[in-house]
Amino acid sequence: MTTDDKTQEKWEVQLRKGSLELVILAALQHRTLYGLELLKVLQSFKSTAITEGTLYPLLDRLKREELLEAQWVQEGDIRPRKYYSLTATGLSKLGDLTGLWRQSVQDIEYLLAHPGPDPIKVTGV
Amino acid sequence: MEQQIIHQYLNTLQSYLARLSPAEAKEVIREIESHIFDLIEQREAAGQPADAASILQGFGEPRQLAAQYVAHIADGAPPPLGFRAIQRVKYGVTASLYYGMAVFGFMISFCLLFLAGAKLITPDAVGVWAMSEGNSLTIGFMSEPFPPEQELLGIALVPVATVLGLLLMWLTRRILAVLKNHL
Repeated sequence: MTTDDKTQEKWEVQLRKGSLELVILAALQHRTLYGLELLKVLQSFKSTAITEGTLYPLLDRLKREELLEAQWVQEGDIRPRKYYSLTATGLSKLGDLTGLWRQSVQDIEYLLAHPGPDPIKVTGV
Repeated sequence: MEQQIIHQYLNTLQSYLARLSPAEAKEVIREIESHIFDLIEQREAAGQPADAASILQGFGEPRQLAAQYVAHIADGAPPPLGFRAIQRVKYGVTASLYYGMAVFGFMISFCLLFLAGAKLITPDAVGVWAMSEGNSLTIGFMSEPFPPEQELLGIALVPVATVLGLLLMWLTRRILAVLKNHL
């Protein structure tokens, strides 16, 4: 593995780590899922693939922060499962994080779309 | 055999979750257990191999997994809203302790070095004198210096003050480093 590959992998890990909370809140938007179901959803996307060992403690933290609520449900003979959904606080946090995420993507896209040597339009200070 | 590996994993995990309340620890174990057996059933139904080791791999080492669940206890839960003021007072105290220590230490060490330098330049007007049979000690500049025979140290004041000054500067820096890292 070259140094470039390592740097890139490190960056991917950082990016995934930073956006994970938003990813989980987004996956649970107007939806109720249990752990394994949520894990499969996340693992089906390249940039959100995480392991059980990351997901469950994170769900526990988000529940403690009252962004998520959980309920054990038993349907028929199937073993009981713990279903997660957003609380009102979680939904409002999702709104905040979505705004930040979109702003960030928009800013980076703008920079990418305006390479030199032309000067870049600077607003603000 | 597979069941045994899983139970052993869950037992180990539970032992590392001892800092949680029994109800919380039970809840964590119950959820992970449900996940594992769900996954085994789903894989068996799909005709895929469902070996315990590969399933447990995703959860990682029991000790590391447990550490994430108990991390919030070790960090201390955030104080309730009204208690923010205490944090601010604590922060204020540590900041004034840090800067107070810096000013105090460096100022005295600077004075000692200055005294050593001054003794070299004007040996007669600077010194340490003991008066009234040792009941009073005078250090500094004197416009009308005391008789040289009453002076302590003499020119030895230069190395003594230099060494003390440098020692105090080093000590102050060490203390500041400790304060910065631990407060």
